[in-house]
Amino acid sequence: MNVDKNGVTYEVLSPWAEADPIPYRGITPRIDRLEGRKIGLLRNPKRAAEPVLKVVEDRLKKKFPKASFSWFANLKPNERAIAQDIKDDFEKWVTGVDAVITAYGD
Amino acid sequence: MYDAISIEERNKPTVSLVNEGFFNDAESASRSQGMPALRYITTKVPCESSIIADIEAGVDEVIDKIITALTKPLTAEEKVPKPKETEKPQRIIFKGTLEEVNCFFYQRGWTDGLPIIPPTEEAVKEMMTGTDYPPDHLLGKLQSRNGKTTIEKIAINAVMAGCLPTYMPVLIAGTINLIESEPGFSGYTTFGFSTGSWAPFWSINGPIRNEINVNNSSGAFSPGNIANATIGRAIGLIVKNIGGVRKGIEDMGTMGDPMKYTCVISENEEASPWEPLHVELGYKKEDSTITLSFPNCYCQHIPYSADADGILRSIVDNMPRGMRYNIVITPTHAKNLFREGYDKAKVKKYIAEHKLVTTARMQAMLVTTARQTGKGSETEFVQLIEDPRFIRVIVGGGPGAFIAHLVGGGATPGKKEIQKIELPKNWAKLVAKYKNIVPNYAKY
Repeated sequence: MNVDKNGVTYEVLSPWAEADPIPYRGITPRIDRLEGRKIGLLRNPKRAAEPVLKVVEDRLKKKFPKASFSWFANLKPNERAIAQDIKDDFEKWVTGVDAVITAYGD
Repeated sequence: MYDAISIEERNKPTVSLVNEGFFNDAESASRSQGMPALRYITTKVPCESSIIADIEAGVDEVIDKIITALTKPLTAEEKVPKPKETEKPQRIIFKGTLEEVNCFFYQRGWTDGLPIIPPTEEAVKEMMTGTDYPPDHLLGKLQSRNGKTTIEKIAINAVMAGCLPTYMPVLIAGTINLIESEPGFSGYTTFGFSTGSWAPFWSINGPIRNEINVNNSSGAFSPGNIANATIGRAIGLIVKNIGGVRKGIEDMGTMGDPMKYTCVISENEEASPWEPLHVELGYKKEDSTITLSFPNCYCQHIPYSADADGILRSIVDNMPRGMRYNIVITPTHAKNLFREGYDKAKVKKYIAEHKLVTTARMQAMLVTTARQTGKGSETEFVQLIEDPRFIRVIVGGGPGAFIAHLVGGGATPGKKEIQKIELPKNWAKLVAKYKNIVPNYAKY
């Protein structure tokens, strides 16, 4: 153990807190194609989110003319839609789409 | 990312688009929510861009990746991620000289960049004399890591910051304020981490202010007073080491904020003609409390004149735009306002009624004004602050005429923003032991 010129050494406690391990879950199986499917577009209130998804929608429409699109906005950052009064609308919207693309503006 | 996780939980595949600078943040969010395989794609679209050419270029570059992310079958690891290894924390983490301890802590990201006091067993034991709670008492879990917030971890971080044991009751109350902060947009969940670089601003009221010498006079926001300097610093370390908030990963403050080192004041209740902040918020004058908000902006100005008209007009004219407003005015200004019939409520009402913007300049969305959406008028005015409760008036500062604004974010009125400070049984003895630790400047 090292000591300084005065013969002092410090045995120190950890400031880092313990945390319970988070059980990991897998993600959902993908869809086999986009053509003919209903794609959800979810945006938050940040400025770039909506135009980014508009461009995505435009490009995908060109590639997959039979795909359809459905938009949803959660305008409260850092707050899950399912924790707000838009919960029912969100649940209904999710039920009605086959896959979702999200953009956050950052 | 949280909504993407909700959608995956409802058995619908997702892909999220994030700016390339937010890769670490996206990874941290998906792991902390228990879905490490969440598919996200980084883009070169500049943050919060409104330039369509840049947006199109950024999207065009990743459009095939978007399609792949929604259609490519899952890997085995994506279907069933390997469980995270359980941490095996050691209580004694290191032995070495002062320099080695500082280097060790700094390299693990456990400091604010300034040197720390080594948290030895003896130093932590002394810090624990500032509370009646046992070391393993659990206050709760602090975001973003949901770190177990025990009294001993608070004490360890307090030692590192250079706190005196008499600050422990304040640190415990401040930490409870963070743990119980309003969930969602208006609380610590946003203001602890967001690109806005919001800093916790702690206002201390009640008898404890004087017992632990929290400066509310000359240079209250400047360095030089141990309570103001180390209480804010300690809570910054608690956020970092218990909450696990890492700069550039969870704390995505674009510019950062020097107030994150510390931003602590007490109200000069003795010199104020008005009821103090904690009484406004429902506590007794003899209670001690700590109140939290999250400014990201600090500015000062002098009034146009010393009377109410000059003070109030200058406040209105110099007030930056934000979501919550703290205004610190000197005892002299407060007395002048009081003499002309203003209490705190009337001051706030005046400010709210006179701080006007055109309807075109009001924010239509988070970062967009009505003007940008083609709505609103440049000749019709509305109040910027619709509810005077978003304004807080604190009496403080020394001789002189300057007025300070700390503007940014904070709780929705009526939601958690204040916490009573509970004192240990040996409080009088502790105060007697530490109260005289004050700067005594040499005359020259």
